[in-house]
Amino acid sequence: MDKFLQFTVLGLSQAAIFAIAASGLVVTYSTSGIFNFAHGAFGMMAAFTYWQVHVAWDVPTWPAFFLVVFIIAPLFGAFIERVIMRGIEDAPEVVKIVVTVSLMVALLFLAIAIWPQDVAHPVGALVEGGQLEIAGVILPNQRLMIIGVAIAVAIGLWLLLKATRLGVAMRAVVDDRSLLQLNGGRPARTAMMSWAIGAGLAAISGVLLAAEQPPSAITLTFLVVNAYAAAVVGRLRSLPGAFLGAVILGLAVSYTAAYLPSDASIGSFSLSGLPRAVPAIMLFIVIVAQPEARLRAHTTIRTRVVGVPTQRTAAIGALVLVLGTAAIGSMIAGPDLPLVSKALWFGLITVSLVPLTGYAGQVSLAQLTFTGIGALAMAEWGANGSPFAVMLSIGLCALVGAVVALPALRLTGIYLALATASFAIFCTWMVFSQSSLLVGGTVSVPPLSIFGWTADTQFKQLMVTAVAFAIIANILVLLRRSAWGRRLTAMRDSPVACATLGLNLTSTKVGVFALSAAIAGSAGAIAGRSFVSDDFGLTPSLQVTMLAVVGGVGSIGGALLGGLLLGMFPIGSSVFAANAIGVFRFVTVPVTKVITIMPGFMGIGMGRNPDGAASDIARSYRSLIESVPASVVTAIAFAILWISARLEYISNWDFFAGVLVILLAVMPLIGSILPPPGVQVAGRRLAAGLWLVFALLITAVLPWETLVESNGFRILLMLVWAGVVASIAVGVHGAVDLEALGLGTDTAAEIESPDLMGFGTEITRADAQLAARAIGLDGELDRPDTGSTAVTHARSGVEVGST
Amino acid sequence: MSTLEVSDLTVRFGGNLAVSKVSLSVAGGEIVGLIGPNGAGKTTVFNAVSGVITPTSGKVALAGRDISKLPTYKRARAGLGRTFQRLEVFSSLSVRGNVQVGLEIRKSWSRRGGCDRQYLADGADLSADSEVSLILDRLDLLGLADEIVGALPTGQARLVELGRALAARPSIILLDEPASGLDENETTRFGELLRSLSGAGLGILLVEHDVGLVMEVCDSLHVLDFGTVIASGDADEVRQNAAVVDAYLGAGT
Ligand SMILES: Nc1ncnc2c1ncn2[C@@H]1O[C@H](COP(=O)(O)OP(=O)(O)OP(=O)(O)O)[C@@H](O)[C@H]1O
Ligand SMILES: [Mg+2]
Repeated sequence: MDKFLQFTVLGLSQAAIFAIAASGLVVTYSTSGIFNFAHGAFGMMAAFTYWQVHVAWDVPTWPAFFLVVFIIAPLFGAFIERVIMRGIEDAPEVVKIVVTVSLMVALLFLAIAIWPQDVAHPVGALVEGGQLEIAGVILPNQRLMIIGVAIAVAIGLWLLLKATRLGVAMRAVVDDRSLLQLNGGRPARTAMMSWAIGAGLAAISGVLLAAEQPPSAITLTFLVVNAYAAAVVGRLRSLPGAFLGAVILGLAVSYTAAYLPSDASIGSFSLSGLPRAVPAIMLFIVIVAQPEARLRAHTTIRTRVVGVPTQRTAAIGALVLVLGTAAIGSMIAGPDLPLVSKALWFGLITVSLVPLTGYAGQVSLAQLTFTGIGALAMAEWGANGSPFAVMLSIGLCALVGAVVALPALRLTGIYLALATASFAIFCTWMVFSQSSLLVGGTVSVPPLSIFGWTADTQFKQLMVTAVAFAIIANILVLLRRSAWGRRLTAMRDSPVACATLGLNLTSTKVGVFALSAAIAGSAGAIAGRSFVSDDFGLTPSLQVTMLAVVGGVGSIGGALLGGLLLGMFPIGSSVFAANAIGVFRFVTVPVTKVITIMPGFMGIGMGRNPDGAASDIARSYRSLIESVPASVVTAIAFAILWISARLEYISNWDFFAGVLVILLAVMPLIGSILPPPGVQVAGRRLAAGLWLVFALLITAVLPWETLVESNGFRILLMLVWAGVVASIAVGVHGAVDLEALGLGTDTAAEIESPDLMGFGTEITRADAQLAARAIGLDGELDRPDTGSTAVTHARSGVEVGST
Repeated sequence: MSTLEVSDLTVRFGGNLAVSKVSLSVAGGEIVGLIGPNGAGKTTVFNAVSGVITPTSGKVALAGRDISKLPTYKRARAGLGRTFQRLEVFSSLSVRGNVQVGLEIRKSWSRRGGCDRQYLADGADLSADSEVSLILDRLDLLGLADEIVGALPTGQARLVELGRALAARPSIILLDEPASGLDENETTRFGELLRSLSGAGLGILLVEHDVGLVMEVCDSLHVLDFGTVIASGDADEVRQNAAVVDAYLGAGT
C-alpha cells in the first residue's frame, strides 16, 4: 500500500510536468494551427540556458528561473513565430510538419554543439531538499513544488483564457481567423502571443525536469512525445483534456516502472523497455479510440504541376544511374566505398517517401523503423541472402505499416505524423532493444545472394543498392502514370471530392503507406551490412523525412538528392574531422559540429517549399536564358576561374569544383538574381547572390586534393558540395518567378487553388453574432444597423464540419 | 427510378441553428430547386445530405434505403453525386484527367442497388474513353480537355465538377450554384443540359442564385430562410408568395 501511494505521488509529479508541457503544445496548436514538434526542444533549450545562467554565470536560482521562463523563452517563442511560422500558416500540412520537425532537429544538434553531451550539466534542485511525511507516505518538497507549479499553471491559463481580452481572442481565433480580424482582433499578434506562452510553458517543464536529473538533450527533446500523448486525449485542442491525459500518463508510467519486474518477458521477448514505451502505447490507444475525422474541404494549397517523367525517361535515368555508379564506384578506394554506398542507400529510404508524401501528401516520421524491421527480418529469415527472404521481409514491412497507419489515417495528417513518431519510439524500446534480435546491440544483414552470385564485396553491395534504386524508381513512375497515381493526385487536391465520387480515402491511404513502408523496409533487407539499434531511432528518421522534403519529395530525382545530402553529412564529418572554423578569434567551432547542425536549418528554409530544391533547380535554369547580364556574369565567373587555374592561383581540382558549383548552383539562379534590365522579379536576390559569391570563394580555397585520397570520392564530394550550395541558395532566394521573367507558366505554373467564388462567402448576421460573442463584444452587434453589414471574407481552410 | 428523401433535417453549429427541420424529396427525372438568401443554409443541407457533415438530427434515404449513418463514400456508391459551391476540383489535373478520375473511381467499386446508367448517353454501352469524351463533349469542354483545371475560369471549372460527378453515374445529383460564373449564353445552354439530363431520368437538386434559370428549369421549388423552408411549390406559386418576396426575391421580380 505504501509503495502504491509512493508511486502515485511520483506519478502525479511526473504528470504535473507532462501537463505543463502538453498545455503549452495545446495553446500554440489551437491558436496558430501549427503543431510544434519542436516543443520538447524548446524545453530542452530552456533547461540548458538555465544551466548556463544559473551554474555557469552564477545567477541565483529564482532570478535565473524567472529570467529563463518569463523572459528568454517567451521572447524566443515569439521570435520563432515571427520569423519562421508566420510564413507557413496557410501552407499544406506537410510543410508545417516538416518545418517544425526541422526546427526540432536543428535545436537538438545546436544544443549538443553548445553543451557537449559527454559533460553532465547538473543544475541542482530548485527547492531545499526536505520532505513531508503524511501517514507513512513520504512527500519530497521537490515533488510537492512541481505539483504546485502545475496547479498554478492550470489556474493561470484558466484565468488567461476566461478573463483577459487576449485569452478571449485566442479562443476566437481557434474558431475562425478571418472573423476575428473582422471584429478588430489581430490574429497575427494572437498567434505570436500563443507561441510565447507555449515556449514559456515548455521552458517550465524543461527546467523542472532538469532539476530532477542533469538534462540530456535527446531525452528532453523527445519529451514532446509524452506531451502529445497527453494532449491527444483532449484532441490536441482542449486544456482540461490535456491535463487529464497527463495524469493518466504520469500514473501509467509510474506504476509500470513500479510493478513491472525488471526481467519481465514474454517468451524470449523482453519487456524491460515497456515503461519508456508507455507514452507511445497510450497515444496509440487514444488514436484508435478517436472517431473518424470530418472531411476537410478547401484548404488553400499551392500546387505546382510537377511533370511526371515518361517510362522511357525513367528507364534511361535508371541505366545512367547504374552505369554512373559503376564508373564512380570503380574509382573509389576501398575504405571510402561504404560511405558512398551509404549515401545512395539513404536515397532508397528517402525515395520511399515519394508516394506517401510527394503523391499523397502524408508524412511519416518512422521510415528508418521500417528499414530496421526489414533488416531484422532479413537477418532472421535470410541467412543465405536469398531473394525470397528479401521479399518476405518487404512483405512484413508492408503489413506492419498498414496496421500501424490504419487508425491514424482515419484522422487528419497530423495524427499520422504523431503515430509514426511514437511507433519509432515504441520500436526503439520494445524491438530494437531486444538482445535476442540484436545480439550485443548489433544486427548484421546477410549480403544478397542470387543464383550463386553473392554481393560479398563493398563494390558489389554498392551495385546492389544502385540496381534496387533503379528498379524501385521505375516501379514508382509506372504507378504514378497509372490510374492509381492519378487518383492519389486527386486525393491530395481534394479529399472531399474523392469521397463524393465513392472513394474510400482511408483504404487508399493505407495502401500508399504500406507501399512506402515496404520500400523503406527493402532498404533494410538488401543493406548487406551491420547496424546498431541507434541507426533505427527517431532522430535519423526525422532527418530522412526532412531531407527528402529538402531535396524535393515530389519527384524521384529530388528524393535521391535528399538522400545524397543526408549521406553527405557523415562523409563531411569524416573528411573535416580535424578542421575548425574560428569565429571572432576566440570561439572555435569544429566543422563537424557545423555539419550536424546544417540539415535542420536547411529543413527550416527549404521545408517551406514542398517541391524541394531539385525541382526548383531544374526549372530555374530557364531563367538564365533570358537575361543578358546574367549570361555575362556567368561567363566572367568561368573566365576568372579558368585564368586563376592557368596562373596556378588555384589548383585544377579547385577549378573543377568551382565549375560544378557554377553549373549546379549559380546558373539556375543567376537569371533571377540579375534579371534583364527593367524586369521586376521577387526573391531575396541580394542575400542569395552574396551566398553564392561566398560559396564560390570557399570552393576555390578548400584544399580539395589533400582532403581525400581517391579521385572518385573527391568528385562525388564535390558534386554533393555543389548540391548543398545550390539547395541553400534556392532556400535563401525562394522560388524563381518564371512568369515575371517572361518564360511562361506551362509546367512550372504555381496555381493557387482558387477561391472561385471570387469574392468569398458573405458573412451573415448569425456569423457576426457568433464572432462577437466569441470575442466578447456581446450586444454591440445587436444594434439594428450594424447587424446587416454584409462584409465579404474568404473562408479558406474552414473545416466543413467544424462546430 | 430512385428517390432522395430528406426528412426533418436539422443542423446546429454551436448556438447557430443553420438548418431546421427541412424535409424535401427529389425523384428521378425531376429538377427540384432550393433557393434562399445568403446564409440560409442551402449548402449546409447539401453537406448533411452527402455526409460531409453530421446533422444534429433528421433522416436521409435514397431509393428507400436509409443512408443517414453511412460515410460520404458509401452514399456516393449508393448513387448520390454532388458538386461544390466553393470549388473542389482536382486543380493539378487536366480537364480530361478530372473526369477520368471520376470514372476510374467509379470502376473501382461495385454499385449496391440503384441503377448504373450514364444519363448523357442514350442507353448505349460505352468504353471508358468514349464515356469521358462524351461527357466532355456534352459539357462543351472538349476544346479545353488538356488544360490544367486550376488555371480555368470559375464557370468552366464548375462544369468540370459537374462532368466529374456525372462520370460516377449518380442517380441523384446535388448541384450547388453550378451556373455562377457562366455568361448568359452559356447559362441558357446549361439549362438545356439540365433538362436533357432530367429527361433521361436523373434526379437533380439545384441550388442557384440565378432566379431566371431556376424558374425556367425547376419542376418544383423550396425556399429556405434562416434554415427553415418558408415556401414550397412550383415556380409561379413561389413567385407569388409574399414571404418569399420579402425574404429573398424582393419586389419587382
Ligand atoms: N462549418 C461551419 N461552421 C459553423 N457555421 C457554419 C458552417 N458552415 C456554415 N455555417 C453557417 O451556417 C449558416 C448557413 O450557411 P450555408 O453556407 O449553408 O448558407 P447558404 O444558404 O449556402 O448561403 P450562400 O447562398 O451564401 O451559399 C450560415 O450562418 C453559416 O455561417
Ligand atoms: Mg451555399
